[in-house]
Amino acid sequence: MTEARITLDGRTLEVAEGDTLLDAARAAGIEIPTLCHDDRLDPFGGCRMCLVDLEGTRRPVPACKTTCADGMVVNCGGERLQRVRRTMVDMLLADHYQDVAVKDNELERYAVEYGVEQPSLRFDRRGAYDDRNRFIGFNPGACILCDRCVRYCDEVMQCTALEHAGQGGNALVQPTQGKSFLDTTCELCGGCVSTCPTGALYEKQATRNGAVTEQECAKTSTICTYCGVGCSLDLNVKDGRVIKVTAETGVGANDGHLCNKGRFAFDFIHHPDRLTEPLLRGDDGELHPASWEEALARVADGLGAVKQQHGPDALAFLASSRCTNEDVYLLQKLARAAAGTNNVHSCAAT
Amino acid sequence: MTNSMAEIEDTECMFVIGSNTTEAHPVLALRMKTALRRGAQLIVADPRRTWLAERAHIHLQLRPGTDIPLLLAMSQVILSEGLQDRAYIEALTENFDEFAASTAAWSPERAAEVCGVGAGDIRRAARIYAQTEKAGIYYTLGITEHVCGVDNVRALSNLALITGHIGREASGVNPLRGQNNVQGCNDVGNNPVYLPGYQEVADAEVRAKFSAAWETELSAVPGLRLDQMMSGMLDGSVKAFFIMGEDPVLSEPNAAKVNRGFEQLDFVVLQDIFLNETGRLYADVVLPASCFAEKDGTFTNSERRVQRVRKALDPPGQARTDLWILQQVAKALGSDWGEQSPAQVWDEFADLSPKFHGIRYDRIEELGIQWPCPDRDHPGTRFLHQGAPIRGKGLLYGLDHVPPWEETCAEYPLLLTTGRTLYHYNAATQTRRSEGHNEKQGHPFVEVSPDDARALGLKHGDRLTMASRRGEIEVRAEVTDRVHAGVLWMPMHFAEASANVLTGDGKDPEIGVPEYKVTAVRILTS
Ligand code: FES
Repeated sequence: MTEARITLDGRTLEVAEGDTLLDAARAAGIEIPTLCHDDRLDPFGGCRMCLVDLEGTRRPVPACKTTCADGMVVNCGGERLQRVRRTMVDMLLADHYQDVAVKDNELERYAVEYGVEQPSLRFDRRGAYDDRNRFIGFNPGACILCDRCVRYCDEVMQCTALEHAGQGGNALVQPTQGKSFLDTTCELCGGCVSTCPTGALYEKQATRNGAVTEQECAKTSTICTYCGVGCSLDLNVKDGRVIKVTAETGVGANDGHLCNKGRFAFDFIHHPDRLTEPLLRGDDGELHPASWEEALARVADGLGAVKQQHGPDALAFLASSRCTNEDVYLLQKLARAAAGTNNVHSCAAT
Repeated sequence: MTNSMAEIEDTECMFVIGSNTTEAHPVLALRMKTALRRGAQLIVADPRRTWLAERAHIHLQLRPGTDIPLLLAMSQVILSEGLQDRAYIEALTENFDEFAASTAAWSPERAAEVCGVGAGDIRRAARIYAQTEKAGIYYTLGITEHVCGVDNVRALSNLALITGHIGREASGVNPLRGQNNVQGCNDVGNNPVYLPGYQEVADAEVRAKFSAAWETELSAVPGLRLDQMMSGMLDGSVKAFFIMGEDPVLSEPNAAKVNRGFEQLDFVVLQDIFLNETGRLYADVVLPASCFAEKDGTFTNSERRVQRVRKALDPPGQARTDLWILQQVAKALGSDWGEQSPAQVWDEFADLSPKFHGIRYDRIEELGIQWPCPDRDHPGTRFLHQGAPIRGKGLLYGLDHVPPWEETCAEYPLLLTTGRTLYHYNAATQTRRSEGHNEKQGHPFVEVSPDDARALGLKHGDRLTMASRRGEIEVRAEVTDRVHAGVLWMPMHFAEASANVLTGDGKDPEIGVPEYKVTAVRILTS
């Protein structure tokens, strides 16, 4: 790989071919603010938050879209850039006009960092759109037109279910033709929500009971159960309930991507149909609640009687390929070591 | 998978067969989409015009159950045009002559007739696959759920071996696992002939090792496969069932027969998070278990990566972790294993299983490890068969077409095949408890081609009765050109219109996997 040598904030760095200034800065631990950038998308250069000074050019350049070239001398900090960035945040906040359900999003964090309490202007961007669907909420008033969602849908999902419509003051991001997400090519993956830096797109299930902040959610990192890909995800728990599922960029098999099942199909965890006590079949043929002692005694009696009368190989054990390795290991051990049969299998064709 | 998922992005040719990847494995499909953006060639063999098929350079829209003729013809093209990797075949395969002879009967023209695709497309597909440097095969249940599932896989492995598309980065044969822990389930010994870690029950030394560890005598009698358990209920050899998280009444083929079997049992235990059909009808005892959010442990994904599952919540009410339940049941049966934690159970497994020996919880906190991983210093294995096939030489198989268990006839003139949709999962006990998913897709349906619809006088959305020799169900018609005339497709997710009422007794003779993918049916309109 050809390398280039650049100077960044006075440090000499070796960078790989094709790296952007942003890549180089991050590798060196130098922070540059970004808003329209997502590592999983093509460089865009729309929001100008990442402007840096490049020696030999009159105006600052976007670090996310400028490819390193040998000999470049770049400055990422300094008062002038701070001022420029503060102005950018101010202007973006003017767009991000409404109260949003998801607090502490990327933009609002920058507002705090750059000390912009109230934007100097307010610009209300409202598009009518059909809000009918239970997963993805969209508040056009909070949108800053960074197009991350649109590009995610085009480049990653290749669904093209979001569009950047209109121009200038009438420009608008919306689901295709303002239709409901249910009636477009949208696959309800929620990737647009995950990449939105302003909370304009949000998880409806999470905000059912009002706004939430990141701090209020306890995150547990685990693995999705909806197919064999094994995506890493975080269960966000508030008040003993999973309220949303998120996934971190750069982690695991999925790099922050999830499908509609992984991201949104968690209602079952708290569903009233969940079994919450052991059940025994009574003489009336119905199932009745019982204690664990009774249930375990009945299991031992039932399996024991069959084993005694017909031998261990009259017992069969079946496991789901959705259980954990540890569960399944113990089930086959139960069959082999406790019951004495190799009759243990699952529905596992591939 | 012989390859890792990340490698897909660098593939130059993807041959996707019997896999509707964007719906069944949506996040893995993102890697394929990236490869497409980077200019990879895509060949899709599928009876339906799936999302990938629509974007494929070649879509071989074959009749269900004709994969072997297609693959043999592709092999014939490769051999007759000299596109094979001679050096690889010479050095690293065996049984070439028998294989080559078996391809002789399957010219592209003959296969085209049986498969219902163009001979020219077969030739082009063979050339692209053979002549691309990095070419990967991706398949799933569309290949395995047939009477000839094992031979289908062999036909694919033949193709990879003669072109040397194996054992290299981004080149391999990759089954995409349907359920989250199919791989792990096999790995830890949930199999009638393998003890944990793929160690054979038949091997006395292996049994002695496990006997010593488990402090008990172990049976040398090979166990029953799932399909044999099902028939065992009917012939009286199986008298009791202990079921952890499965619903055979819905998920096994020929539901009427499965029900007859369960009716004859002496005793049934169901351990699950919901009361499923099998439990409701037949369980003597139901034990309330925990879902993935309520326990610690590991899953092993399609690329053999062992990953940590972590507890976020307590199980509801009196429900308990599956581990606790199994320990209590063992104790009630007279085997006290104590209260091992998930980590201790894993360690017991890894201690006994050389391929997994090096994988321990403390090593997979951040990122999982791909087995084989023989010791603690081993980084894990990204792709298999590097340098040479694991068994030394890749075995080529002589094959021939195996017709489906059931073929169409005047009375049952349509071929029904089944699959998964993007919005539901298997028997959908979880996704159908999500309001938003039901809103998107709430009713059972069957895809009917416009031609068949016209012939039957069906309109989009019409209710219809679909019947096979074993039963009938009611569904709505979805008239679409995604399927060819003569072929129907329906999702497997809807209990009220379960495809398994229709499916038959066909199964692969070697491994017993049922032929879910081909059923002869007729449509009755009201
Ligand atoms: S992050 Fe570079 S322009 Fe937006």
